[in-house]
Amino acid sequence: MPAVLSDSSAGHGEASQSLAHLVEHAAQHPNTGPKWVLLIVLLPVLGFVLNAFYAAFGNKSKIPAWTTIALLAAAFIATLSMFLSYEGTPYTVQAFEWFNLHYGDKSFVANFSFYIDKLTILWMLFVTGLATLIALYASEYMSHDIGAGYCRFFAAFCLFVFSMACLVMGDNMLMLYLGWEGVGLCSYLLIGYFYKKPSAVAAAKKAFIVNRIGDLGLALGVYLTFVHFGTIQYAELFANETLHSYINAAATGDFSHIPAQAQWIALLLMVGAFGKSAQFPLYVWLPDAMEGPTPVSALIHAATMVTAGVYLIARFYPIFLVSEHALPIVAWIGTITALLAATIGMAQFDIKRIMAYSTVSQLGYMFAALGLLSTTGAAFHVLTHAFFKALLFLACGAVMHGFAGQLDLRKLSGVAWMKGWGIVGVTMLVGCMNLAGLPYITSGFYSKDMILAEAFITPGYRMIGWILVFTAILTAYYTFRVYFRVFVGPEHAEPGDEHDDHDDDHHSDHFHPHAPGWAINTVLVILACASMLSISLAYIQKAEHHGWVGSMVAESSASYHSPYAAEAHHAHVEHADMHPVAGPVGTAAPGKVFGMDAHAGMILVSGLGAIFGVLVAAYFHGPKGWQGLFIGGRTESGKCRMDAIARRAGPLPRLAENKWYVDEIYAAILVTPLRIISHVFHWIDKLLLDGLVNLFGFLPRVFAWIIRPSQSGVLQGYAVSMAGGLAVLLFVVLVIVMNSGGAA
Amino acid sequence: MSQQTVLLLALMIVPLLVAMRIAFSKNPDTGYRPALITSWLLMIPAWKLIADFDFSQGATTQFAYSISWVESLGLKFSIGMDSVSLLLILLSVLLGPIVVMASKTAIVKDKRMYYAWLMVLQAAMVGVFAAQDLLLFYICFEFTLLPMFVLIRKFGSTNRVAASVKFFLYTFTGSMMTLAGMVYIVWFVAQPDQLGHWTLDIATLTQYASNMSMGEQTWVLLAMLAGFAVKVPLFPFHTWLPLAHTEAPTAGSVILAGVLLKLGTYGIYRFAIPLAPTAFFEYAPEIAVLSIIGIIYAGLICWVQTDIKKLVAYSSVSHLGFCVLGLAALNVTGFSGSILYMLSHGLSTGGLFLMIGFMYERYHTRDMNAVGGLASKMPVWATFMVFFAMASVGLPGLNGFPSEVLCLISAFQSDAAWSAAGEPGAWGSSLGPWFTVFAGTGMVIAAMYLLFMVGKICFGPLREPEDHHPHDVLPTDLSLREIITLTPLAIGCVLFGLQPTLLLDAISEPVNNTVVLVEQANGLESAPSRIDSVIEHADEHSEAEITPDHHTPEGASHE
Amino acid sequence: MNHLNHLVQAMDSVQLAQMSFPAELPQTVLAPYLFVSAAMFAIGLIGFLTRKNMIIMFLCTELMFQAAGLALIAFGRHHLQADGQTFVIFVLCVAAAEAAMALALVVLLFRHRESLSASAWKELNG
Repeated sequence: MPAVLSDSSAGHGEASQSLAHLVEHAAQHPNTGPKWVLLIVLLPVLGFVLNAFYAAFGNKSKIPAWTTIALLAAAFIATLSMFLSYEGTPYTVQAFEWFNLHYGDKSFVANFSFYIDKLTILWMLFVTGLATLIALYASEYMSHDIGAGYCRFFAAFCLFVFSMACLVMGDNMLMLYLGWEGVGLCSYLLIGYFYKKPSAVAAAKKAFIVNRIGDLGLALGVYLTFVHFGTIQYAELFANETLHSYINAAATGDFSHIPAQAQWIALLLMVGAFGKSAQFPLYVWLPDAMEGPTPVSALIHAATMVTAGVYLIARFYPIFLVSEHALPIVAWIGTITALLAATIGMAQFDIKRIMAYSTVSQLGYMFAALGLLSTTGAAFHVLTHAFFKALLFLACGAVMHGFAGQLDLRKLSGVAWMKGWGIVGVTMLVGCMNLAGLPYITSGFYSKDMILAEAFITPGYRMIGWILVFTAILTAYYTFRVYFRVFVGPEHAEPGDEHDDHDDDHHSDHFHPHAPGWAINTVLVILACASMLSISLAYIQKAEHHGWVGSMVAESSASYHSPYAAEAHHAHVEHADMHPVAGPVGTAAPGKVFGMDAHAGMILVSGLGAIFGVLVAAYFHGPKGWQGLFIGGRTESGKCRMDAIARRAGPLPRLAENKWYVDEIYAAILVTPLRIISHVFHWIDKLLLDGLVNLFGFLPRVFAWIIRPSQSGVLQGYAVSMAGGLAVLLFVVLVIVMNSGGAA
Repeated sequence: MSQQTVLLLALMIVPLLVAMRIAFSKNPDTGYRPALITSWLLMIPAWKLIADFDFSQGATTQFAYSISWVESLGLKFSIGMDSVSLLLILLSVLLGPIVVMASKTAIVKDKRMYYAWLMVLQAAMVGVFAAQDLLLFYICFEFTLLPMFVLIRKFGSTNRVAASVKFFLYTFTGSMMTLAGMVYIVWFVAQPDQLGHWTLDIATLTQYASNMSMGEQTWVLLAMLAGFAVKVPLFPFHTWLPLAHTEAPTAGSVILAGVLLKLGTYGIYRFAIPLAPTAFFEYAPEIAVLSIIGIIYAGLICWVQTDIKKLVAYSSVSHLGFCVLGLAALNVTGFSGSILYMLSHGLSTGGLFLMIGFMYERYHTRDMNAVGGLASKMPVWATFMVFFAMASVGLPGLNGFPSEVLCLISAFQSDAAWSAAGEPGAWGSSLGPWFTVFAGTGMVIAAMYLLFMVGKICFGPLREPEDHHPHDVLPTDLSLREIITLTPLAIGCVLFGLQPTLLLDAISEPVNNTVVLVEQANGLESAPSRIDSVIEHADEHSEAEITPDHHTPEGASHE
Repeated sequence: MNHLNHLVQAMDSVQLAQMSFPAELPQTVLAPYLFVSAAMFAIGLIGFLTRKNMIIMFLCTELMFQAAGLALIAFGRHHLQADGQTFVIFVLCVAAAEAAMALALVVLLFRHRESLSASAWKELNG
């Protein structure tokens, strides 16, 4: 943890200018925007309703897909219009009242309204864009399920986009929570799409429950925000003077005057973010979520839902700034997750699983970026990662679709050379290059470089920086392991278990792969182009804001300017009103890498690392000849040089392959004891509590059993008791009489 | 006697008359049609009453009417309703036709008896909520026990005898003690230094009851809670519920979960709190602890059940823990959330019990190990099942969410140290954040057991018992009649999830008045504006350059 | 000899009492009547408790009645009030009516069980 240094010049008494523009607007009532913005939210709802109708009326065509694509494309166009018409001031658009409790002078207000600022627009652009593309992909991918399943898929898909829109565009924390849980529900429905498979049902349940643990933290954070600040609406919250006073205090590094209540808000919100974005220790649901169809994995578990945690922290960055420990924890957890997931990904054989772990790992990068006070880096990486990860998943999905569900990289080889698979091969290469972060030619490099550089710039986080660099090398390795095993080399394919009826000439020994159709290929090409074109985003407005993404982030609540930005970045910080806020890190001198300026140094280090990772993968997994970059030695699909090393490496490979037994540890520490406790409670309820009640009911019976002999039917018995009773009565009376007589 | 009063009386008397008519008919298999027509027709006066109710005066008792019985003892028959009673009456009336329609194929013998008692139950439920004096309240309160007893005893499942007896005796014992407590209050108010003459009018009693000493109030509270806590049910007085629910026929379970459990919480809101405010304030944390134990304990038990009906029964215990937590918080958020919970729980859990009933009619087993994966065979049923499960789990957008949120926030708010930035003048009883944290784990547990249930019964490979054969009358999936019974509940779930203000605005005035009553009885004052006080503290530490703008909340205009 | 004198004096007092209100009567006059009454009651009680024959049991109850009557008369004479005697007349009437009913019941019971034993009806259990 970095030491907190106070520097009187850094802004004591100075309002946080990064929120200055927000304050100006919110000091009056926030602007209301045009109502057509609501279309972005309404069109997916319409899609959901229409698809539900299609399902109810037994539609058996591709109409659900076309409806969905059309509506989502319209939503994307609406988002574009929103972007183009944005005038620089955040505004609110209300749909209807939701919670509006007033009592005395207090109020609990959370309406169904939407808050649009540049962060929102940034997120919605890629959410709606990717949703449209992936819907197009899914129209072909899911075509073997046409009928009720097809309608159900697209209904849940539309509902998901609606929930994501509410999450990102909501203007208060309850709207965010609604979207949060909504995406969780859709994730449950879509992971469990193949509901006849017990593994899919279990995976869906696991995802929902682990997410719910995060949701609990988020809910508590929301309540605490309301109790402490009196409001959960963004416009009011970011203009709240108490919050500003806290930020000013935090800017000087002085956290002692910020009440613990306020600091806990960030910690609780953080738990929610960890749950949704699959960070350690709540990441275990994401790899299992691969049970869902591939479009679901691509959209939800790579590009949109899992970035919700990043969005959460970015949106509430002011609240995170005032908490002393929250951002450092975020940074470290992100780093640990990145490393952990990379190590597991290296040892998996299922290509979708590898991609899932790589998602977890890259999300770790994004969280680390947030913790390192680089919201721009995080947002940029979210954007580039969304494109190339979706691309990678969709390409793997194409492979799965064409090879009857085969995903094991030991059983596939040379796919790129098979007829009709060329586009998949090329786009896969583009995606892998981006994920590995090959220098200068991929957008993934730019975003990752921003994060890595930030790690060295911000003092106290060098360790994180080196871990992330190491993880980058691992990333390059495992990514290209997949590429070199599956896509190049001698052609070989074993079919998977899902024999579907596409292959008319399918015999058990002659298996013909099913090449992807135009929908899949189109989407892959678009995504590959988008990945490459997003390199340009790094150069737009590079001087003022570190890129286009930076310009979007700068005018939102996520903006934060590191004091080292001026020093470390190539360009100058020209705008006079961008006073840096020191935040929890203090104002020590910015770090350097090998004596060089951090950015330049990082380009060198990470670039070389990526190339090194690719070469290692080529050596161990690449085929002979130019396809393996002339250093590979693989001649068949199942065996490679790595096997020998793995055999001699001891327990490590097996541990990594078994995910370090984290799931089993959780089961042993949490699930099994909880189940035992539940059984114990059940028995307590049955035996103890119910037993007490039954005992209480049993008492009259016991009493009766004692008394019953007196009703013997023997006349004389009754007479005896009468006589005896009379005698006792007489005795008592006499005693009383004697006593009172004596006393008197 | 105004027209609306006549309608209110009709809501109570017409079902009784119809019940007698059904009971005295010659054919033991009639009763469905009269019951159906009556229950549907009763919706008309109910809607008329909503239309004519003046919601801006939600706290005043409207459409009041009273006849004296024994003047010197203050015994009267008096009815009337404020908005809280109105909403609960509506819930009872809404469930009427739903329950009758759901029983059409489930009950095959002795229909006459069944529908007659169902009509009596309907009348009694309306009577409880409409009662404005203790006598009528208590009579109707007990009168709900008798039909339920018969329904379980005669039309229930294998273990029905034990279930009906335990249900009746347990709740009856509790209510006897409640009666004792109430009689004490009546006697107290009749003392010459209080009111001076006998009355059982609830409003009058409320005025004088807070004059009781702390000791008296404690005993009275214990007595009243004895009855209401059993009814709610509050841990550890809940053991009758799983048995009663599992053995009852579908309609019985729906009404039991939908309305009869709310008699307990309504009783706490209407009687226990206003008539013993100081004692309730004193013991609110203990009551809240019991409710939280109930939430977690019952939730975990749900998780390991094999009988699906018992699972949902324990889930009722868990959910109503939230309800009581809201009541124990003694602030506006808590009461609003609690009453909202009463209404929404009726819809969602009623829906769940209907689903289970429909499944049971076709498969004759409730064992989740014997029957499962029904989504392949009954997709419409499965869709509704997932829907109601999501409403039950508290998914935002459906009606479980607003109520749960408000109940949880209320516990947070009701700690003076937390919610008023350390200023004196509590904003509720003294619960606090830890109560919310533990109650919040109930959210996670709810997800666990509900998804466990849905995962077993809806999803997975299809499992049917070996001797299963298709039903004679019912189709494989839901019939139109069954869908009609579910639709109002589903619409209600969505409507009140997205527009809780409809209900919250209606109940805001009575809730406010109750809170004021509690505060006055305990000598508290409302806390000063929290935001201002916190700013004052903050100003000591920084020179905020922004002029302290009084941030009035958005939409401050009262709708 | 003394006893005889006392008796003569008592008879004189009775005569005197009937003519006018005399002085207090000696206490010892009461005691024998009470002894006799107690003895009769005890005999009746023990007889009721130990005999099985219903008619004999009834006889014993009558004996207990008479014992009570005797005690009533004695006390009435002791306090020089008519209440005791009045009460006894009532008791005799009630006893007579009750005797009629009881014997009728005994006859009916006998017809069912062909036995006058009270234990024949044990199953009635009170």
